[in-house]
Amino acid sequence: MRQVLHIFQKDARHYWREAAVSLALVVVFGWNEVGQLTDEVWTPDVVGPHSLLGLIAMLLPVAWSLLIVRVIHGESLVGDRQFWVTRPYEWKKLLAAKVLYLITFINLPLLVMDAFVLARAGFPPLTHLAGLVWMQILIMLFFLLPVASFAAVTTTITQVLLTALVIALYLGGIVALWQHTLSSNFISLIDWLQTDLFVLTVVAVILWQYARRRTNQSRWLIIGFCLWVCLAVVAAPYKALVAHEFPEPKAGQPPPLRMAILAAEIPTPTTFYAKDKEVEIQLPLGVSGLAPDAIAAVEGVLIEIEGPGGSHWDPGWKSPFLFIFPDQTKIHIGFTLKKDMFEQIKAVPVKVRVSFALTLFREKNRKEFVVPAGEFALAGVGLCSAGEAYAQQIHCRAPMRLPAFLLISADMASTTCPILGGESPGRPGVTERGWRRSDTSGPAEFGISPIERFDLYLSNSAPMIPAINQTAGICPGSHLTLSNPKVAVRNRTMLEIDGMRVGDYQLKPTTF
Amino acid sequence: MSNAIRTENLVKRFRKVEALDGLDLAVPEGTIYAFVGPNGAGKTTAIKILMNIVGATGGRAEVLGLDSRRLTGRHFAAIGYVSENQELPEWMRVDAFLAYLRPFYPTWDRALENDLVKQFDLPLDRKLKNLSRGMRMKAALAGALAFHPKLIVLDEPFTGLDPLVRDELIQGLLERAEESTIFISSHDLAEVESFASHVGYLERGKLRFSEELTSLVDRFREVELTFDMPPALPNTFPPTWMQMSSSASVVRFVESRFDSEKTLAETRKVLGDARNVAFAPMSLRSIFLTMAKAGAKSGLGRSES
Repeated sequence: MRQVLHIFQKDARHYWREAAVSLALVVVFGWNEVGQLTDEVWTPDVVGPHSLLGLIAMLLPVAWSLLIVRVIHGESLVGDRQFWVTRPYEWKKLLAAKVLYLITFINLPLLVMDAFVLARAGFPPLTHLAGLVWMQILIMLFFLLPVASFAAVTTTITQVLLTALVIALYLGGIVALWQHTLSSNFISLIDWLQTDLFVLTVVAVILWQYARRRTNQSRWLIIGFCLWVCLAVVAAPYKALVAHEFPEPKAGQPPPLRMAILAAEIPTPTTFYAKDKEVEIQLPLGVSGLAPDAIAAVEGVLIEIEGPGGSHWDPGWKSPFLFIFPDQTKIHIGFTLKKDMFEQIKAVPVKVRVSFALTLFREKNRKEFVVPAGEFALAGVGLCSAGEAYAQQIHCRAPMRLPAFLLISADMASTTCPILGGESPGRPGVTERGWRRSDTSGPAEFGISPIERFDLYLSNSAPMIPAINQTAGICPGSHLTLSNPKVAVRNRTMLEIDGMRVGDYQLKPTTF
Repeated sequence: MSNAIRTENLVKRFRKVEALDGLDLAVPEGTIYAFVGPNGAGKTTAIKILMNIVGATGGRAEVLGLDSRRLTGRHFAAIGYVSENQELPEWMRVDAFLAYLRPFYPTWDRALENDLVKQFDLPLDRKLKNLSRGMRMKAALAGALAFHPKLIVLDEPFTGLDPLVRDELIQGLLERAEESTIFISSHDLAEVESFASHVGYLERGKLRFSEELTSLVDRFREVELTFDMPPALPNTFPPTWMQMSSSASVVRFVESRFDSEKTLAETRKVLGDARNVAFAPMSLRSIFLTMAKAGAKSGLGRSES
């Protein structure tokens, strides 16, 4: 331990300027966060004194990166001329000293500042200690250690910058590859696998460099991981993974909901940007059979078309970000066809298979709630406010993480908002809903702020009546129903449509 | 006497270049071993393998009885290593550098540190990056000697230093010689001749010879034979004769296995009776040059252990 502290003290003395910049930025971040708490009406478009979050969110990682690189390069692991490699340094102690430095000058100040911000935001820090610590662990795993691993295989800041540039280009390439790979955009299993492998690679590179200083091998480890990601994106058996993650209902088990194709609607010009060589198709589907306490999240949709002469069209799974509620009778599923393909099949009957990957939620902790004036506490969420002015949303701030799934619903016929000129009371029986869902499994989100800000917008799936401008606001006194839906089952279900004429479902764009 | 350093068939290849080609080396404990050879002979590579800075391609090396591949931090508490191109923490002042090193070594001797600082006339308040090359080397050496290392390994420590600094460093080393084994690489034989007890000559990755300096100097002689008339030089001559040359009635060569009676008898047998025979002792530098030239002529050189 003496050696650890000795190296740590040396680094603390030598890199005090870099550490001071980093600490100063943490203080500015805290000041900005606390300041935002007092900017009551949340107006993200307005640039105010406390709108520095974006800038700080950019500067802090830069300052931290610089600090990490300088500290790691203090005992460079690349090359064979460093004085320390033939001194009685024990690699575990050297590594421990560096980790201690990062914890002391990055994690600890941020943790203290986050605790302060939490307290000022009305959340007792001790209650959220696990979240505060977890957030620092995430920062360590997904930011500090990756930067440290790059520092461990480089010798100069220039090399690090070049590496960062290469990484940025690589990420751009991966995103492009991802977007052009069928079915790749909604499978979480691959993401998790890559996240775990990413952390493992980073840790392995650091350990290998400190234990053996085999830089080429470490660099190949990083390159190997990058190649693996490319390979995983391109060659992952997405359909098999979907089948695994969303199995078909067991024999005798009823599907979570029933779907049926509806007659083509009268094409109404819709405002969207039409590409010259593509045609937008929209299928209206009738839905029924969803239990009163159930919510179906359409995680993925696969539309396959079998045309004349055995031609087959399969664009892969897409994620439509769609929720279906029990009182909903209709949804629209859209997709894009190449114009030449569309021209071939638009007038002939084709077989269309629509597969759905569904996550079925059951509402839990359902409770009625009357919106008070000003700020109010929502159990399990945080502090929310309906705002002083008429608004269709409530604004909330949650400590450490977003709620796993928060659903609010309201009958707009009973809104307490004043009905203004030109408005009509909401139609009875039409439920407006707003929800927030987070896939984060730990007690905190990855980030630097302990406060998660979000809005719950109310909307409904009922057809619009353009002539009537209904009130749909949340005001003090409004009745809301809150619930925390939980995952009940994941299923795949399929709808086969024979003899469909695709041309009937073409979405006609408005010409600008 | 056991060996502080021992290598067996040590091989190091950098792609197609063979830096070390089966190096067999034994450095007895308590000696001052000069590891000499021309630039690019593989001295630094060998030392880096010994210090476990780089790995060998083949063979094995032992340092203080330990496989050099297993040499880790704590073992360096007994080894003082200084290299001409070592990267020091340039931002540190000399006093901070020595103070920083102190806690790493259980055997650090504060009094010895002070002596070395005085002896080397080190400016404690100056940063390492502001020191001259000689001063930096002295600071590095002070940091490598102040803990009474069992083994001192120096890689070309005198390169580019002025004679005064060189003498100061040598003096500093000699004062430690009683308690340490000193292994010093150099391509300048004149500087190691004055204090080395043993010498090993490395050329193109091979050890040409390794022996006590006195015996080496004893067995090399410049032989000059003067004949009454120009002798007929044979096509072949003993393998221990090197750099054979003749001008008129004088024949010169270097005998690498000198024994006055045997050499005299051999010259008679090969060249006939000479009017005058002179044996001149050689400096280490001359021996080195003779070996280097012989090696260059023969391509791979001759093994002369």
